Amino acid sequence: MRTGALAAALVGVLCGVVGCYVVLRGMALMADSLAHGVLPGVAIAFALTAGAAGSDPDELAITLGALAAGLVTAAATSLILRRSRLREDTAAGVVFVFMLALGVAIVSRVEGYIVDLNSFLFGDVLGVEGGEVLTTAVLTALVLALVAGLYRPFLLLSFDRKRAAALGVPVDALHMVMLIVLALAVVVGFRVVGALLVLGLLIAPAAAAALLTRRLPAMMAVSAAIAAASGPLGLLVSWHLDLAAGASIVLVAVAAFAVVVVVRPAPR
Amino acid sequence: MSAELQAKRGGAALVARGLSVEFGAVTALDDVTLEIPATASVALLGPNGAGKSTFLEAAVGLVRPRSGSIEAATRRVAFVPQHLHVEAAFPATVADVVRMGRYGELGWLRRFGDRDHALVADALDALGIATLARRRFGDLSGGERQRALLAQAVAQDPELLLLDEPLTGIDAPTRDAIGSLLGRWSEEGRTVVVATHDLETASRDYDYVACLNRRLIAFGPAATTCTEEVLARTFEGHVLRVGSLLVDTAHHHHGSG
Repeated sequence: MRTGALAAALVGVLCGVVGCYVVLRGMALMADSLAHGVLPGVAIAFALTAGAAGSDPDELAITLGALAAGLVTAAATSLILRRSRLREDTAAGVVFVFMLALGVAIVSRVEGYIVDLNSFLFGDVLGVEGGEVLTTAVLTALVLALVAGLYRPFLLLSFDRKRAAALGVPVDALHMVMLIVLALAVVVGFRVVGALLVLGLLIAPAAAAALLTRRLPAMMAVSAAIAAASGPLGLLVSWHLDLAAGASIVLVAVAAFAVVVVVRPAPR
Repeated sequence: MSAELQAKRGGAALVARGLSVEFGAVTALDDVTLEIPATASVALLGPNGAGKSTFLEAAVGLVRPRSGSIEAATRRVAFVPQHLHVEAAFPATVADVVRMGRYGELGWLRRFGDRDHALVADALDALGIATLARRRFGDLSGGERQRALLAQAVAQDPELLLLDEPLTGIDAPTRDAIGSLLGRWSEEGRTVVVATHDLETASRDYDYVACLNRRLIAFGPAATTCTEEVLARTFEGHVLRVGSLLVDTAHHHHGSG
């Protein structure tokens, strides 16, 4: 439980910070698409590493598989956008259902080993082990370092793509880097709250923070604090009320957002 | 006039040679050859869809020519696009938005120095928005936003300024602020190119006028270039003579804020 709480708090910090860009750039559907797009990678990694004797699958392989599938999702969406004049939500939607269907198809072919779809979709925070917490901490630190180093170009890109390009920001490359950062957050996050609900940790705290702050660094700090607190608090709620852990965490995050919407003074 | 300024006056700030741009099957610019003299103020006049925005965007590398070229003589170019797609809740103060203008020169990591802080403060003053510096950008009125975005361009300390329809849908104080800035920029030897469909200001407030309608119709001193014949070809007949005033009937319903 304590390990799970620590993992959930770390994931909260990561999703809270990265979620600010999701909210600012209107990438909610892209984030959801990435979250579901990781399934084929998880399924393949599971099939390859879960031994014939039914031994546990390799966690690192699953993380790498998920990341690879997330990047394929991002790259495929970008490719469709470049070769057509479709809207981003359409392109992301097509890739999203393809990856999800591919994942389910692979799962159905892995004889003898049914990938635990339940824990993929809804998370398994109490199954998180010490080693995984370390991986989560390292990935969180890596993403935070990237976000800090790319603060200016990411801010320009989020503010206005044209102005950013005119100021010398390589906008296409930076957009790809942002998708990679988002994929990392999703991959770290889906273990805790599940692929279906990781969007909740990305959106709800950042949306609440957007209503409370005037500057991006403050927004990131408030968002990270809300998301990080949602982890342990959600686990407490889950334990006392006997609810699913991942869902409880997201419910706490959304409750924080609802409170902010209601109590904050209305805009002028 | 300084020797430096005099030297600049001889050259060109922006040169387009046979510039053609296409978007799919649509030709936005067709074989445009144009030399914009350094230190001049130039109105890029034409109706909607004439390729004014495309010309400016090509100048800063946002769109690629199908053939021909367009090149600025300086790397210090500031571009203010017409539209801004920003969330109302975007977490940046007016000062933050103006500070973004320094990112181009400072790069991604270099810290703000005294000169950068001074340029940001001067830009806020020049557009009369120093008192708004700590307000959230998204909370401003349209005119105030436009001034903040112009201040962002001013903070870049550019030699060449490209403004896309800065006078569309703005309030009187903003128009005045822009008007006095145009004058100051000219005195300081900066080159200013302003895309506009406003005939009246184009022939009154600028040194040169370039009439554009996918092709370059005419280019020359403002006083002599806007003949009735040139304007008829630029606006394709959507020009009426009302007394001594020429009215662009395709646009006059926009009003001028």
